[in-house]
Amino acid sequence: MFDHVEFFHRPRSIPDAIRLLHAGGSRARVVAGGTDVVVGADRTIRTLVDITGLGLNYIRRDAGSWRIGATTTIAAIEDCTAMRNFAGGIVAKAAAGCGSVQIRNMATLGGNLANASPAADMAAPLLVLDAVVVLTGQGGRRRIPLAEFFRGPGQTVVGKALLVEVIVAAPPRGGRTGWSFQKLGRTESDISLVNAAAGIQLDAKGRCKWARIALGAVAPTPIRLTKAEGLLAGQALDLALIDRVCEAAGREVSPIDDVRASAEYRREMSCVLTRRALRECASHAGRQL
Amino acid sequence: MRTLSIDLTVNGEARHWTIAPGDLLLDVLRREGYFGVKRGCEKGECGACTVLLDGNPINSCLMFAAQAESREVLTIEGLAHEGSLDPIQSAFLEHGAVQCGYCTPGMILAAKALLARNPHPTEEEVREGLAGNYCRCTGYLKPVEAVLAVANAQPTGRRRRHE
Amino acid sequence: MSNTVVGHNLRKVDGVKLVTGGAAFTDDIDLLGLLYGKILASPYAHARIRRIDTSKARRLPGVHAVLTYRDVPRVPHTTAGQAWPEPSPYDTYLLDSKVRFVGDRVAAVAAETRAIAERAIQLIDVEYEVLPAILDMEQAMAPGAPVIHDEPDSTKIYDAEHNIAGYILREIGNVEQGFREADVIIEREFRTQRQQHTPIEPHITISWLDPDGRLVIRSSTQVPYHARRQVAMILQLPVSRVRVIKPRIGGGFGGKQEMLLEDICGALVLAARRPVKIEYTREEEFYMARSRHPQILRMKMGTKRDGTIVASQMTVLATTGAYGSHSTTVQGNTGSKVLPLYRAEHMRFECHVVYTNAPVAGAFRGYGCPQGFFAQEGVVDELAHELGMDPLEFRRKNAIRLGDIDKLSAQLGEGKEGLPRVIRSCGLPQCMERGAEAIGWGQKRAAGHAAGGTLRRGVGMACSMQGSGIAGIDWASAFLKMNEDGSFYLQVGASDVGGGADTVLSQIAAETLGVSLDQIVITSGDTDITPFDVGAYASSTTIISGGAVRKAAAKVREQVLQVASRMLDTPVEKLTCGENHVSTVCECSKSVSMSDIALHALYKEKFQIMDGASHFNTDSPPPFCATFAEVEVDNETGKVRVLHLATAVDPGTAINPMQAEGQVEGAVAQGLGFALVEELLLDPEGRPLNPNFLDYKIFSAKDMPRFTTILVETEEPLGPYGAKSISEVPINGPAPAIANAIYNAAGVRIRKLPIRPADVLEALKAKNQ
Repeated sequence: MFDHVEFFHRPRSIPDAIRLLHAGGSRARVVAGGTDVVVGADRTIRTLVDITGLGLNYIRRDAGSWRIGATTTIAAIEDCTAMRNFAGGIVAKAAAGCGSVQIRNMATLGGNLANASPAADMAAPLLVLDAVVVLTGQGGRRRIPLAEFFRGPGQTVVGKALLVEVIVAAPPRGGRTGWSFQKLGRTESDISLVNAAAGIQLDAKGRCKWARIALGAVAPTPIRLTKAEGLLAGQALDLALIDRVCEAAGREVSPIDDVRASAEYRREMSCVLTRRALRECASHAGRQL
Repeated sequence: MRTLSIDLTVNGEARHWTIAPGDLLLDVLRREGYFGVKRGCEKGECGACTVLLDGNPINSCLMFAAQAESREVLTIEGLAHEGSLDPIQSAFLEHGAVQCGYCTPGMILAAKALLARNPHPTEEEVREGLAGNYCRCTGYLKPVEAVLAVANAQPTGRRRRHE
Repeated sequence: MSNTVVGHNLRKVDGVKLVTGGAAFTDDIDLLGLLYGKILASPYAHARIRRIDTSKARRLPGVHAVLTYRDVPRVPHTTAGQAWPEPSPYDTYLLDSKVRFVGDRVAAVAAETRAIAERAIQLIDVEYEVLPAILDMEQAMAPGAPVIHDEPDSTKIYDAEHNIAGYILREIGNVEQGFREADVIIEREFRTQRQQHTPIEPHITISWLDPDGRLVIRSSTQVPYHARRQVAMILQLPVSRVRVIKPRIGGGFGGKQEMLLEDICGALVLAARRPVKIEYTREEEFYMARSRHPQILRMKMGTKRDGTIVASQMTVLATTGAYGSHSTTVQGNTGSKVLPLYRAEHMRFECHVVYTNAPVAGAFRGYGCPQGFFAQEGVVDELAHELGMDPLEFRRKNAIRLGDIDKLSAQLGEGKEGLPRVIRSCGLPQCMERGAEAIGWGQKRAAGHAAGGTLRRGVGMACSMQGSGIAGIDWASAFLKMNEDGSFYLQVGASDVGGGADTVLSQIAAETLGVSLDQIVITSGDTDITPFDVGAYASSTTIISGGAVRKAAAKVREQVLQVASRMLDTPVEKLTCGENHVSTVCECSKSVSMSDIALHALYKEKFQIMDGASHFNTDSPPPFCATFAEVEVDNETGKVRVLHLATAVDPGTAINPMQAEGQVEGAVAQGLGFALVEELLLDPEGRPLNPNFLDYKIFSAKDMPRFTTILVETEEPLGPYGAKSISEVPINGPAPAIANAIYNAAGVRIRKLPIRPADVLEALKAKNQ
């Protein structure tokens, strides 16, 4: 399948990796876990640059934020105690639902994001947590909010750069927070036909101080529902409000028909999952609806 | 054709392979005679190609052989010790968990890794651990029973912290 | 006296090599000079090949053979693995100048590596004249529809001009009259989908010429003997110049009851004069192998007010895809195995099987029954409800019984007049009772349905039956010979495709000979070494191949006793076999070991104790099955979660109960997939949309509900040690049981498979309006 590959590089430094990628031009590809590169079976690849030896496998605390190296495996995220306790564990929960144990042992966070599937489970909780992607290239380092990272199905702003890290901001402090991650698939291990992540923070009167809702598999990229979020700001969280938010969610998505589900079903499930996510958030935040 | 050399350990034995840069681990393993590693889908979906890499189950069809440099690979051929079956292998036979046997090597290795990490899994955890190994013959019931039987036969230790 | 081997949960005889990854499957060999074969598949659903230029492909270094329709004999045949003369149309050609589905063969190459082979097929230049295609089976017979099989040399097509591969009409009594007498009539339409077998081992064949120039074929097949005959015919070789070897098989389920790759592989070997391997990728396996016949079924049933069924009628439109493999026989089963489950004086079955430019359908576990029972059990449930009867009670009242004669089967044999079927063993009543108890039928059906929030729970049931071998057609042989150590070589043509046939047949031999299982060494499925067997299909192996083994073992036992009689100077009537010895039954307690008997025969009397036998039945005793499902329906998402599936099966005697349970569980898992998630989809141009495991889902270990497996053993006079069969019947129950459970839970009827959440949601909304 990859009989045309001429070079398999295993650089030990990021500058080397970048240099090799540039030298290989359009026929060079980064590989880490292989779960997307191999499945993609792109016969034009002539150079593979294995980035698993660059020391990008870490989950580190940095003041209130978390920095996750690009080649950290999905399994490592799932198993990480800190991730399980962070933001209601929604990042770890999303990780736990990715594929199978075999896939999770190889697939990396950077690879999952760079592959830019609209259904990528990792994207929704990271969007909710205002994640920032760190790229490095010949022009140096730059940071891009995850919300601006995806361009379309399978397309990102990565270009010739190297995705090295994902920074997950500390969630709001004080007041009551609640978190949720939901997904729907045809089977337990299916790619999501809709996934949803949400986070809220309520003040003492039960009003939303902060709210984030992100959905996957219902638009060309994973998206944050900024309009729906806007309806929550400063409002008392009750069932009627949640209904309005869900209706707005249904209008903010642009799903397609595919073998997993119809666009119409996805639109409806956007509402259903948004409602379920918000109800779960409310419950964690101590608000009885 | 360009080649590169890698050194790794397979089933406890040092191996020196000459491979093409784009060779996949599944293909090289079978070429080297490890027929117990099966080709089922070549897309990392069915798990028939499962091997343990440094103790962790992976789909060998998705890994470039070059990435196995300096790693330890365990295939089904490396499981039995001096002619004596691993308890999981015996349990699969005892519980009727083997029918056609094509998914069996991958499934047993996945179970081996699961029990190494979590010696007393719940049924749900066993199912999760085997979810990456498709079987079309058994409906999974007897394989899950076999794994639980091995777990229950082990001396009780501390359960895994998160369950 | 109870059995010492039969009826016991003994470990599979091939188990150790399977759990240790022994080199046992087709691909687990290394051959010097092995070439890689690859098929160029049609990108169009319907086209003529106007021009095909293979010169660039031939010139590519490493290419050893390139074949088009010009290079091979044109021999009309069917690929269906059936007894000769096959009842399927002879409408297929090794390579043809016309292609009839996306995936049909255009050409084939053999090259030194997979990469070169893949490159070579890309270099074949083809000019197609694209023809209009039929993908909708409801349009296939319409006037003006493009004719898929317009070639003059195909035979046994019912009406090629109207794309009708086969037509079946059978009636007993007079349904018109019956319906006039009925007080309640329900008539409904059901639709079932294209399900693919997805064996974890895709189709693969390796072939070579042996030193005598004979064509040896090592293949993942359920039907080595049919494959041999068909390959010989297609490649125009004498049968004696072809050998087919069946190694361990990684699952078949009917998809390998087909001569699929053996012919093209053999043709490449003859052209290249080198060994050749052809293996399907998973993608090719999805649409270039076989799949289940999609059907549209109209089921009509009429009863008296008291629930007695007076008439049942099924009208089916099915598509066989582009070629007619198994076209009339699968659909024949939809009528003959389904309608007679319930006694009725009047029954009618009518079926059109049409061609479409779609992937070819073929044998798939259940063989027409899953579709038929989905329809019948749905109508039965509705009728019971209409009559205010418990569906369990309705079935008890009407189900076929011990001693009954099934007259419809007499009408519908494998492609011709069959034989009437007499029910000589029937555990169905106990199956229903025990299954109902396991699911909690009484409490759960009556209780309120709400399970909290948006969830509602319910239970449903379905009954089904199958056959055990094809009456008067399936047959088998077995041969046994004795070794010095008292062991026996058992040679059977039977094909163990994973279900444990080798073990079960060895158990039958061991039991009959009075030896332990480890004293039987079995060789199966090699046309040079083992005697004939039609192959593993129609749930025939235990009853038919087992019957042959029993007969052969009985003859060999007789020889053993004769030798022992001479050795012990005791008449045969006073001797018995057991525990690897022959002993006297009287008080003198003399005995001699099997190995001593063998040594004596071989070296003193100078003959080998050996014999063989053939066997067939003139009836096909049905195994019976009662399936009960408990489901939970989420009325917000439409998702159906199966909580518990209880399956009670009457297999006659279970030769190896543990293996038998395993068969039930595997069949149920496939039935669950058929019910809820599996469907091979095509786009408007006939291209497969989801030919991979990411997009076509089968269930994993995480998806399985709680299973209860109940074996209700009966004693079948026609089966060895009372056995019937078990491997197919449990697949029939899940889809209708789940559909009926959804009705109990949520009040909606889903009559289309797979049952998708979106469809349930739509039905719920329609109901609430």
